[in-house]
Amino acid sequence: MKRPTRLGEGQKLILTANRLLDGHIVWRDAAGQWRPSITHAAQLDTDTAQTALETLDAQKEGVVGVYEVAVHPGIPPSPVSVRERIRAFGPTVHPEFATELEP
Amino acid sequence: MNAPIGHYQYDSVDRDFLAARIDEFADQVARRIDGALTEDEFKPFRLMNGLYLQLHAYMLRVAIPYGTLDSRQMRMLAEIARTYDRDYGHFTTRQNIQFNWIRLEDTPEILRRLASVDMHAIQTSGNCIRNVTSDQFAGASADELVDPRVHAEILRQWSTLHPEFTFLPRKFKLAVSGSPEDRVAARFHDVGVIARPGPDGTLFRIFVGGGMGRTPAVGKEIFDSVREEDLLATLEAILRVYNAHGRRDNIYKARIKILVEALGIDAYREAVLAELAQMDMALYRLTPDMVAAIRARFAAPDLTAPPDATATFEADRARHPAFDRWTRSNTHPHRAPGYISVTVSLKPAGGIPGDATSSQIDGLADLADSYSFGELRITHMQNVVLAHVRQDRLFDLFQALDELGLATPNVGLVSDIIACPGLDYCALANSRSIPIAQKLSARFGDPTLQEEVGRLRINISGCINACGHHHAGHIGLLGVDKRGEEFFQITLGGRSDNNAAIGEILGPALPEDDTVDAIARIVDRYLSIRELGETFLDTLSRLGDAPFREAAYETA
Repeated sequence: MKRPTRLGEGQKLILTANRLLDGHIVWRDAAGQWRPSITHAAQLDTDTAQTALETLDAQKEGVVGVYEVAVHPGIPPSPVSVRERIRAFGPTVHPEFATELEP
Repeated sequence: MNAPIGHYQYDSVDRDFLAARIDEFADQVARRIDGALTEDEFKPFRLMNGLYLQLHAYMLRVAIPYGTLDSRQMRMLAEIARTYDRDYGHFTTRQNIQFNWIRLEDTPEILRRLASVDMHAIQTSGNCIRNVTSDQFAGASADELVDPRVHAEILRQWSTLHPEFTFLPRKFKLAVSGSPEDRVAARFHDVGVIARPGPDGTLFRIFVGGGMGRTPAVGKEIFDSVREEDLLATLEAILRVYNAHGRRDNIYKARIKILVEALGIDAYREAVLAELAQMDMALYRLTPDMVAAIRARFAAPDLTAPPDATATFEADRARHPAFDRWTRSNTHPHRAPGYISVTVSLKPAGGIPGDATSSQIDGLADLADSYSFGELRITHMQNVVLAHVRQDRLFDLFQALDELGLATPNVGLVSDIIACPGLDYCALANSRSIPIAQKLSARFGDPTLQEEVGRLRINISGCINACGHHHAGHIGLLGVDKRGEEFFQITLGGRSDNNAAIGEILGPALPEDDTVDAIARIVDRYLSIRELGETFLDTLSRLGDAPFREAAYETA
């Protein structure tokens, strides 16, 4: 079983995945909806994130490869790693492909 | 349709096979979408059809066997970029193209459109024999001894869906060359094959166990002179020994290079000979008739040039300095009088190595029709070759390329950088490769400076998988993650030619911006200490890496 992500001080977890049909990155909000913008991703503590990971049905929700990402809380939350920042905001080499953030 | 110049012509057997394969994959996609297949079940199927799930979306890698394609195929790639992607494609170091923003549900239709021009995405992923690569100047180069495309095509047909080798311990890469100058990095492949003429037919020198990745290795010669009739049997035996004894318990130790290293080349050779001794050689015999039948599927270009073609070319060079400069870096001698081969750089200063927009891809297809018998090649350096250009028409071609933004005079020079997609796209990467490539190519963008520096190759990989071939770069950069920040380890002295060598680590990894400055200081130091006529590798060989280490880690 996967080891839970270790969080630094003040950090939270958010859930991410790729949409099954087009592979695009999505983030799970507090209502359990998968949204293309990270802005309103539900910011969870470790236990809540773990429970959500164990109970959600990726196929039914139209996503693939669900996992948790450590973030600095905020609106939008800011992923801790470069990799997840690139996933959240788009490739750094094509500004025109930057992910539009919801207000 | 007439046989295409440069690559094998499909027949109904090839086309029926592709159609059936796509129908099968379309059904697998439908079952994945409706949930009948889980992602774990579907993943091997999609990978066998070139479909990855990368950082931002699905990525489709399309095979370009031995890097050669015709203008209608090139236009189809542009069409796919325009219709199903974000209007561009990325040419790869295995002479393929990949599209980074593909939708799963579009994939069967994309594959059907590719099949309509005799293309597919088979052998671009998975633990099989991957797309066979070859010399970008095959059939054209003045120094060529044997045209390697015929044997590359034979190996493509032998390896495609080979029932015994579809589930190897790990992926397997083959390159074929027919020139005394290794332009295919044969010694960095799982198997590298170099053809030459013999007294009684073509002979093949074979290297095994080369590779990049976390355990780089220069391939070792297993046989010097394999006869053409024994080529398939010999490769079959090499693969069988690997398939039987290659490790499957550890993905990092599963490539053939690990087995060759563990057994030693002599023991590996003995094992192959033992396998050959018990094979029915008649079954595997590659007969002259078979070779002739494949050769007949390639049309030969009419390489007749006007008597004054070279004089016209030289007069154009004398009149136009920018053209003359581009000619020096971006052309290669052709075997036919009055002809020349052109490498179109996909590395503009500050650009993304290997990327081309759909309009550039279409434009290249048009230029191939006008200037090179409708034929193009993709190089493992991520550039495009027009192999058969009449010298008296070269200046017109240069001007047309300039209008497309494709006349950068830097092939083989410091800004002709090979870079993997890195963390901007790749799910495996630790750091971004493209931004540092852009910064370096902008830094060295001045054509005069690049000519002064001379032959110098920079390769950048965003992780230890080494898709940017940093081990083989004269200067190699490997991206590493240090507590969430991107750093780059510098290696010096790698090369993939006849004297293939693995670059050696210069010192501690540096942050990205410091790395750009460090490379600039290394190049400056080379310019200040080289002797007349020395390349960067010559100077490194004469003095060792101490002067370059001192320059790289010099603090202001």
